[in-house]
Amino acid sequence: MITLGLDIGSIFTKGLLLEGDRIRGFLLRETTGNIGSELEEMIEQLLSQSGLVRENIAAIVATGQGEDLYKGADYGEDDFVCVAAATRHLLPEVGLTIDIGGQSITTILSGPQGEVLNYMRNDKCASGSGRFIEVLGAALGVPMEEIDAVAGRSQKKIAVSTQCAVFAESEVISYVNRGESIPDLVAGVCDSVARMVISQVLRIGPVDHYTVTGGVARFQSIVEKLEERLNGRYHPFPIDPQLAAVYGAALLGREE
Amino acid sequence: MYFGGIDVGSLTAQAVIIKNGAICSYHSIRVKPNPVDSAKTVLEAALAQKGMQRNDLTFTVSTGYGREQIQKEGLSQENMSEISCHGKGAHSILPQVRTIIDIGGQDAKVIRVDSGGELMNFVMNDKCAAGTGRFLEVMSKTLGVTIEELGPLALKGQNFIEMSNRCSIFCETEVHHFLQRGVPREDVAAGICRTMAERVHALVRRIGVEKEVTMTGGVAKNPAVRKELERIMNVRLLSYTIDSQIVGALGAALLAQQLSGVKK
Repeated sequence: MITLGLDIGSIFTKGLLLEGDRIRGFLLRETTGNIGSELEEMIEQLLSQSGLVRENIAAIVATGQGEDLYKGADYGEDDFVCVAAATRHLLPEVGLTIDIGGQSITTILSGPQGEVLNYMRNDKCASGSGRFIEVLGAALGVPMEEIDAVAGRSQKKIAVSTQCAVFAESEVISYVNRGESIPDLVAGVCDSVARMVISQVLRIGPVDHYTVTGGVARFQSIVEKLEERLNGRYHPFPIDPQLAAVYGAALLGREE
Repeated sequence: MYFGGIDVGSLTAQAVIIKNGAICSYHSIRVKPNPVDSAKTVLEAALAQKGMQRNDLTFTVSTGYGREQIQKEGLSQENMSEISCHGKGAHSILPQVRTIIDIGGQDAKVIRVDSGGELMNFVMNDKCAAGTGRFLEVMSKTLGVTIEELGPLALKGQNFIEMSNRCSIFCETEVHHFLQRGVPREDVAAGICRTMAERVHALVRRIGVEKEVTMTGGVAKNPAVRKELERIMNVRLLSYTIDSQIVGALGAALLAQQLSGVKK
């Protein structure tokens, strides 16, 4: 059986075709203001690059902030439910998933069947989200793909203390004016993200086996700082962590 | 006798010189990295306009960022909080005012004063850019207009867009999406100014409003935000003739005059 997951996130929209444990294909593109009308074409592109046709798909599950924008789905599911399903399937021993997306941080506590027991989410404020890193990276002249490399050259600790991304931008610029180095500041930003994430994680309870998903999980410099400060055991997410929700959506499509 | 007031904000710095309680010179600059440098530059520019020097000032009060350091460097003889200075300044130009909404570059304050201009209570937001001048700055940049152009553009808007976010960064993404959908810029601008007014109103509600009400700080210059705020609060915002950004520095100068008699 082949199922299709669609994750219409705040920054990126992802589509993924799943057959058994095999990802038959996936597609990622920026979420635009017109994403609703672009989805059909995106699905066609995904099918053709995977050598499949519409009739091969048994079910379509939509998720993400814009899940309602796709009318052709068999059903929509909350993204944290999809992420929990993906964690359960790929990492059965893990009960806690920290999902850091473009515009949200979500901590998900799940049970043995992948059911969500509790979750906490900040999607009201950019603090600690992917956009926070992007805005501060841009202020420091460091593109997203170079964050890890630049942070790795840091020599000393600088605390970026402002929570608001807009005000933190002024804070880091004032540090640059004072002569602080870009690598130290990028590392400071990564540390600040980790602190914001951890303050949410600790509110949900003690940490045992955990994993990190969402686009921000790709930043080694942030995951390392989470590992340093959290007691539990970290399990790297076995597939691209940015695809966790869309993978989970495709998995849930099988249950229909 | 001349008295000086220096107010260093997050984006701009102002100096006001008064004689017999009336403004005789003032100047405003974009801030420098160091508040002491900003204070020195802006004060000297205000003095130079009248061919004056620092020792022509009997007493000077500093307020805003680095107000203590500015005093330590000898540019002022005393420093006072922005709240006191804004209260004092607003009361001097509008004695009937009881609520002052001061929206600066990186903070928002609502100040309540009594009939004598004495501070009764205040609330402040300096943790989140929503509802501060920075929100409008970020939004103007996203729309591709200057901060001065935003208000007039918004007044032309017919259909206000509705923002579903509060965070300035998320609103930036949202504005991009509206523009990609072909929504007219004036409608987006109108929605931005309405969202701004709603954030300011949320702060005002925490302390309550007593008439009369006025607005100070840079954002007071945005006609669309004023209009929306008047609609939401159902009050008329009192206007005045001096630059809304120098109210704090004027208050500082007036306090300098008051203090000079006490402290010598």
